[in-house]
Amino acid sequence: MFIFGPLFIFFQQIFILITNPINILIFFGAVLLGIIFGAMPGLTATLGIALLATLTYGMDIGTSMVTLLAMYVGAIYGGSYGSILINIPGTAAAAATVLDGYPLACQGKAGKALGLTTTASAIGTFIGMLFLITITPFISAFALKFTSFEFFLLAFFGIIISGALGSTDLAYKGWIAGFLGLFLASVGRDQLQFYPRFTFGLDELDGGLEVVPVLIGAFGIPQIIQVLKDKVTCGEAKRFQRILPEFTEIIHHFPLIIRSALIGVGIGTIPGIGEDIAAWTAYAAAKNSSKHPERFGKGEIAGVISTETANNACIGGAIIPLLSLGIPGSPPAAMLLGALMLHGIQPGPMLNFDHPLFIFQCGAILLLASFAMWITGMLLCKQVIKVLRIPTPVFMPIVAVLCVIGSYSLGLGIFNLYLMVPVGILAYFLTEMEYPIAPLVIGVILGPMADANLRRALMVSKGSFLPIITRPVSLILVLVIILTVVNQTKWYKNLIRRISEKLFSKKKTKEISSNRFKK
Amino acid sequence: MKKRELRRADFITSVLLLAFSAWILIETFKMPAKDTYSGVQNVWYVSPALFPLIISIFIIILGTVLLVHSIQSDGASYFFSSISKRTKFASEKNIRFLSILLALFSLIYLNIPRIDFFISTALFLIFIISAFYFDEINLLKKLTLFYFIGSLIFIILFAFGISKILNSYYKYFIDILALVFYISYVIYNWIKVKNNHIYKKRLIVSLMASLAVPLILCPIFRYSFLIPLPKEGLIIQMMHNIYYFLKRVI
Repeated sequence: MFIFGPLFIFFQQIFILITNPINILIFFGAVLLGIIFGAMPGLTATLGIALLATLTYGMDIGTSMVTLLAMYVGAIYGGSYGSILINIPGTAAAAATVLDGYPLACQGKAGKALGLTTTASAIGTFIGMLFLITITPFISAFALKFTSFEFFLLAFFGIIISGALGSTDLAYKGWIAGFLGLFLASVGRDQLQFYPRFTFGLDELDGGLEVVPVLIGAFGIPQIIQVLKDKVTCGEAKRFQRILPEFTEIIHHFPLIIRSALIGVGIGTIPGIGEDIAAWTAYAAAKNSSKHPERFGKGEIAGVISTETANNACIGGAIIPLLSLGIPGSPPAAMLLGALMLHGIQPGPMLNFDHPLFIFQCGAILLLASFAMWITGMLLCKQVIKVLRIPTPVFMPIVAVLCVIGSYSLGLGIFNLYLMVPVGILAYFLTEMEYPIAPLVIGVILGPMADANLRRALMVSKGSFLPIITRPVSLILVLVIILTVVNQTKWYKNLIRRISEKLFSKKKTKEISSNRFKK
Repeated sequence: MKKRELRRADFITSVLLLAFSAWILIETFKMPAKDTYSGVQNVWYVSPALFPLIISIFIIILGTVLLVHSIQSDGASYFFSSISKRTKFASEKNIRFLSILLALFSLIYLNIPRIDFFISTALFLIFIISAFYFDEINLLKKLTLFYFIGSLIFIILFAFGISKILNSYYKYFIDILALVFYISYVIYNWIKVKNNHIYKKRLIVSLMASLAVPLILCPIFRYSFLIPLPKEGLIIQMMHNIYYFLKRVI
C-alpha cells in the first residue's frame, strides 16, 4: 500500500508540470539550448547550467528546476552530435562515443547512430530517474541518523573519492585541488564565532566567496582560454538522411541498455565523478561482454548505445547524493547545488521534511525532460547541427560575456567579477597541470558544512575524536577514506599484486599436482 | 603537457603550495585559539583557526609528497636546467594566452567599472573575436599591441584622475573616448586586412557580433530581468530614452 502514495504524488507532479503551457515551452527551450551547449565543442553541461542558474534566479524554484534539469539532460545528450558527426566530442561525457560514433558516420550510418543514441539517452535518463525517486528517500531517511561527525567525514569523503577517481595524473593532485577548494570556502567570517578569516580587511569578503561566480570562473574561464589558445575548431559535419531509430535494434540491444544505465547510475552516485567516467566504464563493459569485441572502435552500434545510455543515466545517479546528502555526484550536479542554494533550498536529509514533494518533482522533471529531449532530438537534429558551423573564435567570446553578465547579475556586485577571473585563471593552470577541477568545486561547496560540523561535533564530544571510531557510520566512512588513500600508494599496490600472485601460483601448483595425480 | 614538463610544473607547484600553506599557518596562528573573542571564551575545538589549520596541514603533507615525487621523477633537475637555458617565451600559444588575458583583464578590471557596459562589451568582443578569428599570429600580435596601447591610455586617464576632469566637461566624455577607441580599432583592423577577401568578411562578422551581442543582452537584462548594468553611460542612457519614449507612445 505504501507504494501508491508516492506514485500518486509522482503522477500528480507530472500532471502539474504538463498542464502548464509555459513549463512545456521551457522544457523544449531548455532542452534545445542544452543540446546546442552539448553539441558545441568547448561548451559544457556545467557551463550551461552555470549560466542558466544566473538567469533563473528570479524564477520560482519549480520553474528554475525545469530549466536547469532540462538543460542538463539536453547538454549531456547533445555531446554525441559532435562525437558522431565531426569526430570531436561536444562534452567530455561524449568522449567515449567518438570511438564508434564517427566510424559509423564515415560508413554513412550517422542518422542511424544519432537515432539510436537519442533513444538510448532517453531510456538512460528514464532509468536514472527511476533510481532517483526510489532510492533518494531511503538514503535521506538513513542520513537522518547522521551526526555532525558523519557530515564532516562525508564532505571529506567527497573530496577524497572525487580526487582519487577524477585525477588523470596523480591521485593526490585531486586531493590538493579539494583542499584548495576547502581553503576558498574558509574565506570570510566563520559560521560559529563570525571571526573574519583571510578577508584582508575587505568587506566584500566578509560573507565568504559567492559560490556561483566561483563556479562560473572555475568552469567557464578555463574553457574559454583553452578553446581560444589551442585553436579548437569544428570539422565539416557528416551528412545524414533519416534519424528515426529502428526499434528492433533497440529491443535487440535492450540488455546492453539496461546494464549501461545501471553502470551510469552507480557511477553517478559516487561524489564528484560524473558522466564521462560513466560512459567510459559502460563502454569497457560493453566491449568485454560483446561476442565481437574486435568490432569496437570500428563503428559498432553497441559502443555508442552503451556510452550514451550511461552518461544520461548518470544524471539521475548524480542527483541522488545531491538531494539526499547535499553532496553533488558530478560537476553539473555541483552547479545544480549552487543554484538550489541560491533559491534557499538546502539539499540533504532534511530536504524531505522542508520540501516533501521536491524529490518527486525532480523525478517528474527528469522524465518529461527525457521525452522533450527525444522529441527535440528527432525533430530538430538537422537544424541543431547547423550551430556546429559557427566558428569557435566567434562563440567563445560571446560565452565569456555571458559569464561576465551572469556572475554580475547574481549579487549586482562587480566584486563577483573581480573574483571570477582569478579563480578562472587558477582553474586554468590547474587544468593544464592535470589537476581535476571537480574536487576543487566540491571543496568550495562542502567547505562550510565540513567546518561547522567538525567544530559542532567536537563541542558535543568536548574535544574528543573518539566518536569517529565508535559510531558505526563514521567508522565505515573513515575506513573507506583510509582505503581510498592507501589504495593509491605503491606499497599497497605491490602488496595486492604479491598476494594475488601467491594465490594464483598456489592454484596453479594445485592444478598441476591434481593433474599428475589423475595421470 | 608532456610528462617531463608536467613534472617540472609539479616541482614549481609543490614549492608554491608549501609556501602557501606556510602562509595559511601563519595567518591561522593569529586567530583566537584559546583566548577570548567578542566576549566568548574559546576552547581549541571551537576556534575559527581549527579548520584552516587542518587544511594547511593536509596541503603541507600533499605538497611534500608532490615535491618528493617531482624530485624523484627528475622534475626538479629539469626545472634547474631549463633556468640556465634560454627558452622561447614568445611562442604562438603564449601570445594567444596573453592576448586572452589582456582582453579579460581590461574588460573586468578596467572597462566594466568605469565605461558604459555596452561599449565595454563591444570593445572586448571586437578585439577578441577579430584577433582570433583571423587565425594569423602576426595579425594577432599587431592587434593585441594596438589594443594594449589603447588600454594603457585609459589606465593613465583613470589613474591620474584625468577621466574625472574630462567627465566634468561632459558627463560621457570617457564613453565617447572609448567609442573613438572602438572605431579606431575597427579602422586599424580594416587597413590591415583590406587586401584579403576572407579576412574582410571575418572582420565584418566580428563587427556584427560585437554590436549584436550587447544590443540583445543589455535590454534583456536591463528591462526584462530589471538588473541595473554595472555602468550605465552614453549608450545605455540612449537606450533608456528610446525605451521610455516607446513605452509612453505605445
